[in-house]
Amino acid sequence: MIDNKTFLIGGIIVALLIGVVAVFLASGDPDGLESTALIVQGEKTLTGGTPEGAEIHEDLTGKFSYESPMPDYSLGEAMGSTGGIVAIVVGTLLAFGVVLGIAYAIKLAGKPVKQNQ
Amino acid sequence: MHIPDAFIPIWQGGIYWIIALVFVILALRWAKNEMSEEKLPLVAVLAAGIFALQSFNLPVSMGTSGHLVGGALAAIILGSPFAAVFILTMVLIVQGVLFGDGGLTTMGANIINMGVIGGFVGFYSFKGLMKMTKSMPVSGFIAAWLACLIPALACAIEMFLAGTFPLKEGLLAMGIYHAAIGVIEGIVTVAAIYLITSVRPDLVDSGVKPAAGGAKAA
Repeated sequence: MIDNKTFLIGGIIVALLIGVVAVFLASGDPDGLESTALIVQGEKTLTGGTPEGAEIHEDLTGKFSYESPMPDYSLGEAMGSTGGIVAIVVGTLLAFGVVLGIAYAIKLAGKPVKQNQ
Repeated sequence: MHIPDAFIPIWQGGIYWIIALVFVILALRWAKNEMSEEKLPLVAVLAAGIFALQSFNLPVSMGTSGHLVGGALAAIILGSPFAAVFILTMVLIVQGVLFGDGGLTTMGANIINMGVIGGFVGFYSFKGLMKMTKSMPVSGFIAAWLACLIPALACAIEMFLAGTFPLKEGLLAMGIYHAAIGVIEGIVTVAAIYLITSVRPDLVDSGVKPAAGGAKAA
């Protein structure tokens, strides 16, 4: 058994390590949904490999579009894997912080009501 | 299976958002009433871990890759499907807003698929399988595999309704790819449950451990 603080720090370190390793080792192949889109568009067969340069054509009529600050978990070509690491570290810490923050806020917001009785 | 904005018309995305919000509100209520304060670190660490693991795409042959989704993991460890809705919603917000991984108008659909369907399928199939097999690795693996496959099929149906994929082709390809990706989901889920139960058995929902092994009161 390890205490809460060790668990928290250890957990974040493990998560960050996984994320950083992923920057270098993650597969660049399209995921299941993207692969299916490529099949539908005739660029890929069900069990065959994904041809280089295969691209998903998007019909944007009636669709929303949004430019995120760090698309594809990177800071652009020029930043390379350093940018990738920054993006993953920011994302991992933010996922941690947002969940912890909201969970605490909910718990605290729920408390006074009970204590007043 | 993060659906981008371009794959669903805005109005359909709105409908999924409304359905998703109902579950998000129930998940916030779960967090308020059921989540004990000692479990807060576990919930936050799980969110960080799931975010990191989701960035780790592994090849599954057929020119395709996949990663852990984590709905089954969150629901099993924390003992409620709403834990999965809570954690996956937050992870999807960070991914969508900051990294463009999954759209904003389609976030409702993504919450429904990965958080709601993944969480409920993972949680209840794990519960049922534990009763039958009494084995965490067997139950965890199959539950997580189903929690990857079934949301993918739901996603294929949404893609059909959106006019993005034909029904049969979409179901077939999404099903085959996620049956393969589900193996990753199964292995990582079992490994993570094993790891967390060995360092902090007290934080893990008692349903994971057989009654004989888990004498410690939660």
